[in-house]
Amino acid sequence: MNIAVNLTPAELALGGMMLPHARMEDWRWTNLRTLIDRPYPPGGKIAVAAKEIARLRDTSPLARMPAARLVFVNGAFSQGESRFPASGEVGIRPGLPRLSASDEPVASLNANFATDGLTLTIRSGANIDTPIELLFLATDADPRTIATRVAVDIGAGASATLIETFAGEGSYLANSAVSIALGEGARLDRVTLERQAPGAIHLADRDVTLQGRAVLRDFTLTAGAKLNRQNARYTLAGEHADARIAGAYLLGGRQHADTRLVVRHAKPHCTSREIFKCVMDDHARGIFQGKVIVDPGAQKTDGKQSSHALLLSETAEFDAKPELEIFADDVVCGHGATSGDLDHNHLFYLRSRGIPEREAKAMLVAAFVEEAFETIGNDHIRAALGEIATGWLASRGGAS
Amino acid sequence: MADTDTIELVKDIDVDKYKYGFTTDIESELAPKGLNESIVRFISEKKREPEWMLEWRLGAYRRWVEMTEPTWARVHYPKIDFQDLHYYAAPKSMAAPKSLDEIDPKLLETYAKLGIPLKEQEILAGVRRQGESSELDSEGGGETAGRVAIDAVFDSVSVVTTFKDELAKAGVIFCSMSEAVREHPELVQKYLGSVVPQGDNFYAALNSAVFSDGSFVYVPPNTRCPMELSTYFRINERNTGQFERTLIIADRGAYVSYLEGCTAPTRDENQLHAAVVELIALEDAEIKYSTVQNWYPGDKEGKGGVYNFVTKRGDCRGRNAKISWTQVETGSAITWKYPSCILRGDNSRGEFYSIAISNGRQQVDSGTKMIHLGKNTSSRIISKGIAAGRSDNTYRGLVTAHRKATNARNFTQCDSLLIGDKCGAHTVPYIEAKTSTAQFEHEATTSKISDDQLFYCMSRGLSEEEAVALIVNGFVRDVLQQLPMEFMAETQKLIGISLEGSVG
Repeated sequence: MNIAVNLTPAELALGGMMLPHARMEDWRWTNLRTLIDRPYPPGGKIAVAAKEIARLRDTSPLARMPAARLVFVNGAFSQGESRFPASGEVGIRPGLPRLSASDEPVASLNANFATDGLTLTIRSGANIDTPIELLFLATDADPRTIATRVAVDIGAGASATLIETFAGEGSYLANSAVSIALGEGARLDRVTLERQAPGAIHLADRDVTLQGRAVLRDFTLTAGAKLNRQNARYTLAGEHADARIAGAYLLGGRQHADTRLVVRHAKPHCTSREIFKCVMDDHARGIFQGKVIVDPGAQKTDGKQSSHALLLSETAEFDAKPELEIFADDVVCGHGATSGDLDHNHLFYLRSRGIPEREAKAMLVAAFVEEAFETIGNDHIRAALGEIATGWLASRGGAS
Repeated sequence: MADTDTIELVKDIDVDKYKYGFTTDIESELAPKGLNESIVRFISEKKREPEWMLEWRLGAYRRWVEMTEPTWARVHYPKIDFQDLHYYAAPKSMAAPKSLDEIDPKLLETYAKLGIPLKEQEILAGVRRQGESSELDSEGGGETAGRVAIDAVFDSVSVVTTFKDELAKAGVIFCSMSEAVREHPELVQKYLGSVVPQGDNFYAALNSAVFSDGSFVYVPPNTRCPMELSTYFRINERNTGQFERTLIIADRGAYVSYLEGCTAPTRDENQLHAAVVELIALEDAEIKYSTVQNWYPGDKEGKGGVYNFVTKRGDCRGRNAKISWTQVETGSAITWKYPSCILRGDNSRGEFYSIAISNGRQQVDSGTKMIHLGKNTSSRIISKGIAAGRSDNTYRGLVTAHRKATNARNFTQCDSLLIGDKCGAHTVPYIEAKTSTAQFEHEATTSKISDDQLFYCMSRGLSEEEAVALIVNGFVRDVLQQLPMEFMAETQKLIGISLEGSVG
């Protein structure tokens, strides 16, 4: 609208692309124009010693888990570091997959700057037991933008477990675009673990489509990065599709995390559940914007969404916008959102039984996030992520 | 039973018969079409306003010129040509009525048709309120209880205010806004625009520039207003906009209950209504504001109808103040309305109860804002949206707790009911908790009338329409109970009428 706008240094470094700002409805609580206060020029190739990569990789709690591992280092797919799936029913094609056109800012960032990616296909009817992990690593180097793009296609009746892990060191802007298609009757257990470096920015865009009778279990743990924005769109494009989407925030310091979730019921008889548990300490700010859309004709939709925030310090903040947009009458839809601090009665109860305050708090917080973690089907992964949560709570140092 | 009344009405009245769609043939004095500074001066002059008022209006006008229409609401309508409207219309015969006797009998007839017998009010004792007795009274004396004082606004001008003398005995000022500007300038200057500033938003700025009339209420300290106050708005003239401005001040420890009702004639073209309502509750004061909005909704195909763009806001300025909004929205082609509460005083409380019914091609985008600034403030939102026909019904609301608003509490419940598969129901709540001590709970559901419920009712001999009316009345019950007694029964009927033709 306003041509005379002065681009910020960050925008100039991104080739003059204007970043989203608070006057845009979806970005009202996350103004990238002010939050990204330094330039992150698109990075070239950075040489990294194999030892360095191994060290970074092993910091992941999932590192010891038996899994096929597809490793990206600083935005480049590293065949040497990767361990390819044993099954011949999994196809991996390196190179940038096509991205559907979008004017969404995070997606267009990816369209402009993605340097590498891959396409993962799972043949119809195949049951892939071993989890496949996509590991995105960033090493400590000059501030830069790293953008990757992945497409996943799960054939009809196939099943798989997919993990996306983001980790790194230093200061960088990581941009990720993932598109996932589930065929008829396919099943995907999906886990995203965001543990980017404390100085990093994480901007992710995700697009998932479910055909008839497809089943999705999706969990995202948001714990790293100083600034995090995740767009996630789920389309239930076939009858009787079933999506269960969960997430947890573990935020401290001045972390800022914003999830914009859109679940679209395009066909009748689908079920969706969203459960988000957000824990914020110190000056952290958590944002959850979830929208459930029921298209005309998508009768018998069953859609429920809940977002709950636990604020552990006076200065933490939670903002939520749980939306319903419904164009069919024979539906059962609802959402709930709550925000508050720990229940003092619960705390008192535990302490009166001799449990120190710090432990009592940790127990209550663990119980609070538990429900979201239950979405993870794989026991190993759930245990590993549970460890991260426990570690986070312990590191809170008994904040009073 | 009120339920059976509703059923009767649903049955009897055929589709898209808006009961209040008649016009009254009264010669009007109109301002020329269009809006510019000289129109603002014209309006101000017509109303014999002091200089400061004119300046205030001009200030608002200059801001309005700089502003653009908001587009964020989920409503769609052709662009309004603000230069193609009359900004002032007054029934010619009533330049300055001294009493009811001087008022054009045609006007009185109009109001009688609308169900407000002004004349009778003055002569007879009025309706006695059920269940409430003389405990209500203060200085007014026992016989005033249970009556309703009415300020009637016809197009741009307040026609008459009843029961003025008796209210004056209690020290309550209840008059038209124009009169307040002349008679009580110190109060108007102090409070006007203090809740909704001139430049608050596009429609508020427009209203501030050209507002024609409205009600002014001042309840002095420690006074319980001896009767319900009420305003009846009616748009009559063609191509006019109605811009009323209401200002209600409850001084320390005062209490007032206020109700407004609205109707308009059936016309092909769209009429514009952009009102501003400001409520100010000082320490320990309470204001209860109820609205029954039944402007002409347009015909079945969406032709005509009132565009209702309203800014309503209450300010709990002192400790323990309380403001409660209750609204029943059944009319208007487009409703854009968010009665809000600023909970500034410690321990203050805000409430919002809403029934929004849309049928035909109506579009409703309504909700509330609860802004928690003081400590221990609490708010409650109960919203019931019912969408039928091809209408769209949106709840849009904000609940926010400032960092210093320790122990803020909010409970929100938004329920939507869909009747038919061509309508839409949407919920867009914003929740902002800037302090951990704030406890916010928000819950929303969308459903249709369940087949089980319908089957149950019908197996007991009710027809489908009867069953639907029964279930809908049950659905909105929580809110209906918040309405003043006199209007509860009327509202139940209104709900029936609004939903007619939506079944089957």
